[in-house]
Amino acid sequence: MAYTFLGGIHLKENKNTAHMKAELFTDVAFVAIPMQQHIGAPCKPIVEVGDTVTVGQCIGENNEALCCNVHSSVSGKVTALEPRRVANGASVIHAVIENDMQYTVCPDLKPVSKPLEELTAEEVISAVRSAGVVGMGGATFPAYAKIQSALGKVKHLIINCAECEPYITANHRLLLEQPEAVIKGIKILIHTFGVRKATIAIEDNKENAIELLEQKITDKALIDIKVMKTKYPQGDERQIIYALYGKEIPAGKLPADVGCVLFNPETVASIYRALSSGMPVVQKRITVDGDCIKKPCNLIVPIGTSFKDIADRCGGLKKRFARLITGGPMMGQSQWSLDAPVTKGTGALLFFSETKEEIGQCIRCGKCVRACQMHLMPALLAAYSEKGKYEECERLGVMSCVECGCCTYVCPGKVPIVQYIRNSKGAINEQKRLLQQKGGN
Amino acid sequence: MKLLKVSPSPHVRSSESTASVMRDVIIALSPALIWGVYAFGFRALTITLISIFSCVVSESLFCYATHRKQSVKDLSAVVTGIILAFNLPVSVPLWLPAVGGVFAIVIVKMLFGGIGKNFLNPALAARVFLFLSFPNLMANCFVSPEANKLSPLALSPSIDGVSSATPLTVLEDGVDVSVRVDMFYGNIGGCIGEVSKLCLLIGFLYLLFRKVITWHIPVAYLGVFFLLAFCFPQGDDEAMSFALTSLLSGGVILGAVFMATDYSTSPLTASGKLIFGALCGGLTIFFRYFSSYPEGASFAILIMNTFVYYIDRITKPVKFGGGKHAGK
Repeated sequence: MAYTFLGGIHLKENKNTAHMKAELFTDVAFVAIPMQQHIGAPCKPIVEVGDTVTVGQCIGENNEALCCNVHSSVSGKVTALEPRRVANGASVIHAVIENDMQYTVCPDLKPVSKPLEELTAEEVISAVRSAGVVGMGGATFPAYAKIQSALGKVKHLIINCAECEPYITANHRLLLEQPEAVIKGIKILIHTFGVRKATIAIEDNKENAIELLEQKITDKALIDIKVMKTKYPQGDERQIIYALYGKEIPAGKLPADVGCVLFNPETVASIYRALSSGMPVVQKRITVDGDCIKKPCNLIVPIGTSFKDIADRCGGLKKRFARLITGGPMMGQSQWSLDAPVTKGTGALLFFSETKEEIGQCIRCGKCVRACQMHLMPALLAAYSEKGKYEECERLGVMSCVECGCCTYVCPGKVPIVQYIRNSKGAINEQKRLLQQKGGN
Repeated sequence: MKLLKVSPSPHVRSSESTASVMRDVIIALSPALIWGVYAFGFRALTITLISIFSCVVSESLFCYATHRKQSVKDLSAVVTGIILAFNLPVSVPLWLPAVGGVFAIVIVKMLFGGIGKNFLNPALAARVFLFLSFPNLMANCFVSPEANKLSPLALSPSIDGVSSATPLTVLEDGVDVSVRVDMFYGNIGGCIGEVSKLCLLIGFLYLLFRKVITWHIPVAYLGVFFLLAFCFPQGDDEAMSFALTSLLSGGVILGAVFMATDYSTSPLTASGKLIFGALCGGLTIFFRYFSSYPEGASFAILIMNTFVYYIDRITKPVKFGGGKHAGK
């Protein structure tokens, strides 16, 4: 029986690109590399305009906690250091680099001096940090910090290959194309955490990847493959842990608090690459799809490539194009322009036409209650939030909402439930902040 | 520069809409409607059409008069119209469904904010309103299937010779199996939509198959109803026979499948639905045993409608990470 969780929804998967080999996209004239591609403070640029840089050369540093170095993804000349907007709308300093198309690799990059299995945890952490590895599933939480905080607490190491969002197949392709990198990365992590074995958690819609991994894993005692039902949001770390071990992470706690740590396969492969060759994170696997892109595909792009270049690379856009989503269609972000660059957290670019959705009324059908993975009552949360009754929302557990979007997806009344919930969470946080300020005075 | 459209996530939605849900309910109601027309003649269709027309026009006019967005396109008024007609005997004068439709939509539904906001089931409230206001038109004419002769267009037909005793009053004398088979297929007197239990159950299965409703309310309702009738039989009949006849008579199956499950007026959670259904079943038995009105199901559901807010409150699910699975 496949592992699964309570609630959630069956989506139209639209994994149109699952059979398409990822193509390397090198033909980029300019890249604009943001100094902040992680949760935490931005890096400070350590190059000047006019400098020549090479692939993998560090161009941004910051030694504060939760910071990850930023590296050049191409070789060429720095033509500008200027604030631009990244995909989430924040204004961040970007290093604009003109690509000389040589892809000269930085001579300083060296693999770690010891065999991988003899590395201490500290050595892994410092190498992962200087290679700028972050959670590449989209959270962009620095990987070194995750390893550091989970050391000693972890019983279960889980590789999250669920990829439950529609359209996205980037991780699926990674598992098919570079299973060795992932497996070797997993072995490093097993060694670092000192756990007995790791678990690859994967949805049952990726049969070929499951088969291939089973072939490639020679040491069956070390890596388990657990197949889960295809259901959104199976890739949510809470639901993976619940599906595998029957444990619920208490509100406000981390997976490490229940003895688990989860990594995205691309993060794991990046960790392996960083240790084995010294190459930091300079490329990103993305899925390009949607009803308005002419040639949907999987790409491996240099970080900093603009969305516009990618659209052109994929045959251009159809006329009725009106919306661009970065990330999955359930939790991704809307873009207002094509200018922002791909960062370490970009998993997909989805080019959609316009929707003609009208906001309707709740008919109390209860489908949202059945769909809610956190077991809340979204219909009531939306109704109270609409009326500004935020205390009621808090009583009903609004702060536990993870905004996965299931309730809004299933709603026949087309109520923007998640948005109402965001409003209410924002208002409650604001109130708490004000109260704290008062208490402080 | 051309700006793109931005919107909050999620960026994809299911194709289901309020109208598609209501269309499924209409499809589920149609076997019983077809049987009603077959059993009672075209007058049943006339009454249903007048009732639908009255509901749709009242909703449309109400939206127009109060400057709200037209909501008739969601088809919920059509459903209300059909269910109201299902609750009327075929012999009622043709103005009665029209009055009932206006009451259901304007007073019960729209004045409280329209779909999803009303706290009573509109069709059921209208039926009780008509029953209490026009008792001789509503109660004393449980028309038997021979009423085929009634003219489909006569304004107020003469009902001499077509009324029969209501099955509820013969209950206590006990009936034999062949009568129960007739009751199951629908060869008995009663309101337009309630007679054929077979057709209603087909509709129920369709609603389950299309995931429009869950099993909780109908099963809890009919289960508790059957159990109580079995444990406390009345009259001389055997317990099993009495319970079966009770289940097949009157509007209890129509009520359990199509009226107690009305979205706006039933609880949101599964456990809430079970409590709601069970109490509906209990109250229906209570009214059948102790009330002088033959309105067990209607009163039971309407009373339980008013408790939905409290049931929702006490059946709030334990949130993820807050229950017994939380932590280590």
